[in-house]
Parts: sequence; structure tokens; C-alpha cells
Amino acid sequence: MPRFLIAFLATFAVALPVAVLMARGGSHAAPAPAALPAAPRPGASTDERVRALQATVRAAPRRAEGWTLLAGAYLQKVRETADAGFYVRAQGAVDRALALRPEDPAALTQRSALELSRHDFRAGLADARRARALAPAVVQPFGALVDGLVELGRYRAARRALQEMVDRKPDLAAYARVSYFRELHGDLPGALAAMRLAVSAGGAVPEQDAYVRTLLGNLELQRGDVAAAVRAYRGALAAEPGYPAAEAGRAQADVARGRLRPAIARLARVATRLPLPAYVLALGEAQAAAGRRAAAARSFALVRAEIALQRRAGVDADVETAVFEADHGSAARGVRLARRAWDSAPSVRSADALGWALYRAGRPRAALAWARRALALGSRDPAFLAHAGLIARAAGRPNLAARRLAGARAGEAALGAGLRAALAEARS
Amino acid sequence: MRRALLAAGLALLILAAPAGAHPLGNFSINHLDVVRVSSDRVDVRYVLDQAEIPTFQERGVSPARVLARKRADVAQGLSLTVDGRRVPLRLRPGGRIAFPKGQGGLRTTRVELLLSARVAGPRAVTVRDDTYPGRVGWKAVVAEPGRRTAVRSDVTADDPTERLRRYPTALLSSPADRPSARLAVAPGAGTVSAPRADGAARTTRDRGGGDRFASVFERAAAGRGVLVLFLLAAFGWGALHALSPGHGKAMVAAYLVGAHGRSRHAVALGATVTVTHTIGVFALGLVTLALSQYVLPERLYPWLNLVSGLLVLGVGAAVLRGRLRHRRAHGHHHHHEHGHDHHHHHHGPSELRPRALVAMGVSAGLIPCPSALVVLLGAIAQHQIALGLLLICAFSAGLAATLTALGLVVVHVARLTTRVRLDGRAVAVLPALSSLAIVCVGLVLTAQAVPKVV
Repeated sequence: MPRFLIAFLATFAVALPVAVLMARGGSHAAPAPAALPAAPRPGASTDERVRALQATVRAAPRRAEGWTLLAGAYLQKVRETADAGFYVRAQGAVDRALALRPEDPAALTQRSALELSRHDFRAGLADARRARALAPAVVQPFGALVDGLVELGRYRAARRALQEMVDRKPDLAAYARVSYFRELHGDLPGALAAMRLAVSAGGAVPEQDAYVRTLLGNLELQRGDVAAAVRAYRGALAAEPGYPAAEAGRAQADVARGRLRPAIARLARVATRLPLPAYVLALGEAQAAAGRRAAAARSFALVRAEIALQRRAGVDADVETAVFEADHGSAARGVRLARRAWDSAPSVRSADALGWALYRAGRPRAALAWARRALALGSRDPAFLAHAGLIARAAGRPNLAARRLAGARAGEAALGAGLRAALAEARS
Repeated sequence: MRRALLAAGLALLILAAPAGAHPLGNFSINHLDVVRVSSDRVDVRYVLDQAEIPTFQERGVSPARVLARKRADVAQGLSLTVDGRRVPLRLRPGGRIAFPKGQGGLRTTRVELLLSARVAGPRAVTVRDDTYPGRVGWKAVVAEPGRRTAVRSDVTADDPTERLRRYPTALLSSPADRPSARLAVAPGAGTVSAPRADGAARTTRDRGGGDRFASVFERAAAGRGVLVLFLLAAFGWGALHALSPGHGKAMVAAYLVGAHGRSRHAVALGATVTVTHTIGVFALGLVTLALSQYVLPERLYPWLNLVSGLLVLGVGAAVLRGRLRHRRAHGHHHHHEHGHDHHHHHHGPSELRPRALVAMGVSAGLIPCPSALVVLLGAIAQHQIALGLLLICAFSAGLAATLTALGLVVVHVARLTTRVRLDGRAVAVLPALSSLAIVCVGLVLTAQAVPKVV
């Protein structure tokens, strides 16, 4: 039983913070560092914090605050190590806190963060709302609130909540979310500016610095400034040596420069250390682009095994999974998964995945409407644009296709090896 | 069961449970070093438990090559410092590798390797395990008592994972992430003083706690008088052990009755059993050692049981067939030469040919006696092979003494009954019944072994 549970948690533990980072076109959902319930003592490492809080709770096991803070510290450990063991403990600690005080806003906020990283956006949003209603003066629930609203496609409400969050406390967590919101709306310069503010605001622990620097690198890639992106990734790696998302970013920069061999070597290292589906997929696409078919097939088989494990653990209707199925598995299954993802979270990302899966399943006309929906906010995400362009071309809309593909090429540096190849093919 | 217990601690989350997902996530590579510092050597047992995904990443690679890789990783990543100097830790040849079933129809990898280094009167020992850096997993070093040392350890002496087979999930403890140990060593009687797992207090353990066999061998090796005592103990143990079920007593007795054996036959049978059992244990020990490079002994054992069960069954069937054939021949015989000497009954049909006797003794002695095998393998693990062999001989002798005594009793009782009432029919049926009994024992052994193999 715990095996199942932990696999389940493991899958999600890393889903938002890390895996999504590497998702196609660098689209990154909900930057998660917001949910820390209390500012850690300056200078304390996460390990010190965990130990101190464990002692605190041991001394006073009937106090909900201790459990809540400990859950937050465990979640931070998950973000730093991707160790599912901490995920289980975070969940357990939150449950304890809420058993002691069912209406505790801080504990509800923490549970919301857990639910969001498990992609249970509705439950996450509900808990964040309850927490805000219970403690209207507190800013902490806003991070989870904004994330839930964005992932569920409620962009207007998300804008209001985000504005309030920034007005109350303009910190790393708020700026990072502003950046993502602007990016979704096609405001790349604005997104870059906000992410730079997030970087200079600084995080409570090095991992948070590394996280926003990596996101900044991804935005620089979209702008086409590979050198600036590499600088940002280097900064992230200086803050948190070996940070896998930044390593993967540097590999993407290599891909953008057409240097597949070092990109493959780098991704292989990352995928050996932390074989998240996103990294293994990026590795497989780079290997395929370099003509190493057997190696690519092995990588894709690994992704499939991981998806199978996730499915056994009760997870499947995930946007990344749908796109992978469409590209490297069964397109029909990709369509089913994307539809489920859209039903549970009707965001622009779900719309993009469904459009692409329909296209891969040979239904470009049906895909057109979904591609339009994915770009409805004005997003300049190169992956969205590349998908929309290829769909339009197949649906017999050459003018629309040309516009979309031109947009995708502007951000080509952020495109994974697979879509780059598809774009190159479309050009010829 | 253990898993269910673990789950109970995790509360009521989410759905039902397909068995198998790795407790520390499908990505994890978990490793543990069990360190034992003695006055003249340092031994490290390296245990690796690799979850589904890293195992999948190595698919298509032969077990031997995976083992070779792990050996290389460990040779490179494990370091030992004694009194400020790096001391090479030598990997012993071989090692065990197995691929237990994991989640989603995938396999996991389990490896155990032994390393050791020669030292002289160590004072400060540091063990660092830098294998698989940066990978998620349970990483721990635990200290166990060694020989003639008193060790003060900064890592716990308890391994809550049972050699990486289960993982604690207490909410107020973090997964172990401490792949190094510092040990302060003084001459002593084989003790370890170590912090408890929760860091609250220190506990002291001696060798009796963790490794009973080890201490037995060590004490035996220490003095000659003790050695004699141990040989006697082994003899006694063997003698008593023969009385526990599954040692061919019934079979031997039934055979002697069925074949109208005499005293010398009983003694010869006992001797054969001793020799066979000793050889069998030695051979099995060697086979186990050889096979354990590829298969864990716990997986090997059921097969050995099955083989021995089938063997006994075969012997029983052969005896039964011989009996039946003889009866038919005898009936024939009767027809032609009726009224012939009745004495004939006593040696003719049931002549105990030496070959049959040996076959019987071999099959009785061949049933692998787990305790004896454990003694031998324990001795090998403790580098006390000579002592182990000696103990096995004593053990087998004890076993045979009981069987011989039993055989003598049976022979005499049988003779008595034969003398008292010489009912030809009963005497004719008894041998067939006894061979049936052998068949039954074989069947039971086989039936017990089969479910564990399948």
C-alpha cells in the first residue's frame, strides 16, 4: 500500500516545480515557492530548519502550527531533492495539523500547495479560498489561489488575485507569478522584467533563487538571446550546484545552438541523476534529432514505463502525458488524455495539448478551434505557435499557418528538438 | 504484512494498493553500508536497493554485467580512512544480485557486496560512501560490533530498514541521508556504542545482539577447550536434530523393517548417512556460494527442497517397485518349487544388498539440513571455514548416531515380533507398506516444496 502511495506522491512531488519547467516551449506553470507559511530564519538551511521543526513538534505535538511549518519544510526538501520520502511526510504533517485544527488557514494553505502539486487543481483552489476567507489579512493563501485559478483557466479572477498579492507583498513568489501571467498573455518583455524583479527580490533558500533564475533563462531563450539564457542558468547552478532544471536549460541552449552532442551528454547526466519524464523526453528528442534512433527509442521506452507507473498510481490525465502520447505513442490515446485534462482543468495549456493530439490523430480541422483557444490570451509561446502553425497548414489554411510558424520561429531557441525538426520540415 | 503496517502509519490517503511501488519512489537508489571494525580488519557489507526506474534504465544488460558495474561503482565510491590514512578496501570476489518484482510489472535490483581491509590496531576509522551521489534514496552507514574492539560510533547501530527491505516513514524523522561514519576504536570485547536512531540517547551493543553465529565462531576459535565443547555441542545438536521431522528417520526405520535388516545394516546405514550428509552439506554450501552470485539463497532454497523431495520420492518408488516385482517373482517361484525350505523367507526375498543399503543411506543423508547449511555458510562468512567443516562433521555424526540407534531398536523389535508371530502374510505386506511410507515422505516433502517454488 505505501508503495503505491509513495509512487503516487513521487510523481507529483516534482510535477509542478521541476517537470513543468522543461515542458515544451518552456511553458512553466505556477511557480511554487510562494506557499512557505512563514519566513524561515535567515541563513538557516532547509536541513537545519527541518531538524529544528522536528524537535519543536516532538516537544509540542498537540500544536498545529508546528506540524504546518514542518510540512512546509518537508515540501521544500521535496523541491530540493525530489525525494518522495519527504512528500509522504509533508502530507502526513499537514493531515496532523488539520486533525488538530480543521480550520487553520496556514494548514489549509499548505494542503492547497500539496494538492496543486498533485495536479488536483480544484481541491487546491477550494482550500486556498477557504484559507483566504478565514484569514483575509494574510497574504500566504494568495499564491496557491493564483496558481489554482490560472491552472483552471480562470484568468480574470487570477488577474485580480495576483494584483492583490503583488500589492500586499511584492516578493519573489509574487513577481514570479506576475511573470508567468504576462508570458501567458504574450507580453514577453513584461514577463522578463517581472522575472528579473523576482531574481533580485531573492528567495528564502538557494533553491528558490535557482528556480527563478532558471525560469528567467527559459524566457531569455524564448526571446532568442541564448547567451543571456546561459548566463541565467549559470547563475542558477551557482546558487544550487547541480540544479537539474538549470542543467536541462543549458542543454536546451545547446540544442538552440545546434550542438546536439553536448546537449545529449548533459541531458544524459541529468536523466541519470533524476530521470523525470520531462528530462528523459528531452534526451530522447535530442537523440532522435542527432540520428541516434536506438538510443532515442530507449529513452522513449523509459518515458512510457514512467507513465505506466504513474497510471498505476492513479495519475494520467496530465497535459505533458497527453502530448507525449500524441508524439511518441498512440495519438488516439493522446486525444483521450488531453480531453480529460481539459475537462478537469480548462487552461490554455490543456487546449494546446488537445489541439496537438487531434492533429497527430489526423484531425487537423477539429484541432483548429483548440489551437485558437490555446492562443486566445495572446500567448507567444513558441510551442503553442508551432502546434497552431502545423495544424493550420494541415487544415488548408496556408496564410494562418505562415503567420503562426513565423511566430514560432521567433522563439525557436526555446523549442525542444522534436518541434524544431517539425518546423524545419514545414519550411522545406 | 510489513507493507500494510507501513501504510497504516500513512493514514487514509487515496484508493487501494497495488503491491509493489517502491517506498522511496520509483527513482530511488538506496544503499547501506554495514561496517564492522575488528582489531585486525575492517569489513563492510554494501547493500544496494535500486528502484524500478533506474533498473529499467539498465534493461538489456546481463545480470553479470550489471553486477560488474555495481562492483566498479562501489570500488570507486567507497573509501576507508584509518588513523588519517587512506586504506584500500578490497572487494571480495562475486557478490549477490537479484531482481525482485517491483511495481507495474517492472523489476528492481538488489545487490550485496562484501569488502574488507587489513588493519592493525585501528584508532580512528572513517567510512565514506560516495556511490550514486545526487541520487534520491536512503543512504546510511551502520556500525556493528567487531572482534576484540570497543567502537564508539557517530552513526546508529540499528538498521531500521532490515537491509533495505522496508523504509520507515515516521513523520518526525527524515529519510536517512548520511553516507559516512566516524568510529573511535579501542581494544575491547566486541562492543559498539552508538546513538539511537532518533538521536536521543546512546546504546551499547555487543556481538551477541546482532550476529549470534559470529560470536559463537569467534569464541570457539579463541580457545582449545572451548573448541571441544563446541564439537560436543554440535554432536548433541545433530543427535537431537535427527529427531525433528524430515530427517529420514521414518524412512530408515521403514526401510530396515521392510528389508529385514540386521544390526550391522543399521550401523552401516548410520555411517552412510553421516558421510552423505557431510558431503551433501559441503557440496550444497559450495553450490550455494557459487549460485549466490546470481541468486539470493532464500530463492535458491525452495529448489533444493524440491530436488530432495523428488529424490526421496524416487527412492521410495524404486523400493516399492522392487518389492512388487519380487512378490510376483516369489509367487511364481512358489508355484514351481512348493514345499521348499521356509528359511528362505529370512534372507532370500529381502536380501540387503550393499548397493541398496548405500542408496538408502544416501537418500536419507541427502535431504539438505538447513541448520547444518547455515552453520557452514555462517562459518564461511566469518572466515572460520575449518571450524565450520569440523562442526559439520560433528553435527553429522550426531545425526547418524541417532539414526543408527533408532535403526538398531527397530531391527531388534522387528526380529522379536517376527519370532513371536510369524505370520507369512503380514511379513509379506510389511515391506510393501514400508516402501509406501517412503513414497509418502517423498510426496510430503515435494508437496511442501512445490508451492514455494511456483
